[in-house]
Amino acid sequence: MNAGIVVSAAIVAAVLAPSGVSAHHGWGSYDAANPLTIEGVIETSKFENPHATITVRANDKVWTVTLAPTSRMLARGASAEMIAVGANIKAYGYASRAEKDEMRAERITAGDKTIEMR
Amino acid sequence: MVEGAPQLLVDIEQSGFAAFVRQSPWFYAAANVVHILGLAIFFAAIAIMDVRLLGGLAACVPGDIVFPARRVAIGALLVQIASGLVLFAAEASHVALNPVFQIKLVLIAIALANVALVTAAMRPSMREQAGFRLPSLVRVGAIASLVLWLAVAAAGRLIAYL
Repeated sequence: MNAGIVVSAAIVAAVLAPSGVSAHHGWGSYDAANPLTIEGVIETSKFENPHATITVRANDKVWTVTLAPTSRMLARGASAEMIAVGANIKAYGYASRAEKDEMRAERITAGDKTIEMR
Repeated sequence: MVEGAPQLLVDIEQSGFAAFVRQSPWFYAAANVVHILGLAIFFAAIAIMDVRLLGGLAACVPGDIVFPARRVAIGALLVQIASGLVLFAAEASHVALNPVFQIKLVLIAIALANVALVTAAMRPSMREQAGFRLPSLVRVGAIASLVLWLAVAAAGRLIAYL
């Protein structure tokens, strides 16, 4: 069966591949006990699934900010323009315990618009 | 993209198709929905086969349950492969290096080997009359099937959380 070939090939690929990568999904790997707010200019922006992500030059460093799935963002009125490169943004959320300088936003504010990400 | 990921994975992730999956507001979500519906149908077909192999639904000739259910299972498995490849392509380098995804692939391989084993072991029994009790090897395989496919589903769901 073709499925067997596909699976075998995928296993070979998986075994050969180096491991030790942490994913950034769910909320479990974020430090919800210590929320933080960052504010700054968006340097890169990906309005993509599974989660939109931006990098923001804040006071201390450049944060990678994980947002929400694009369909949810759109449903709540957060378009790609809202998180366009060069825009000023405020993000309230939690730092990742797995990935350095990454945070997941609970909500973002641009101008007078605040959008919940959860 | 994960730094140091094998080139094949990077190529998949950077393909136009993968970009479309990520950028479409609905396609990724649709693939997710299809993947969970495919799982429900796949496991329903697997479960009814295994129940007969284990001695339930004994009023039926084994083959009258196993053969139709197997067609459904194969169809659903193809749906799972197609929708799974869509979800995989979008984040190929992340997903392939995810330990739970690797465990999932190994579990699928074991489950498919179990399918081959059970298929061979049950073949002589398929046309036995209603009420026929299948050999113990087949029944052990049926239990392994239920456990393995549920473990595959659990591992799949955990990919997003590890």
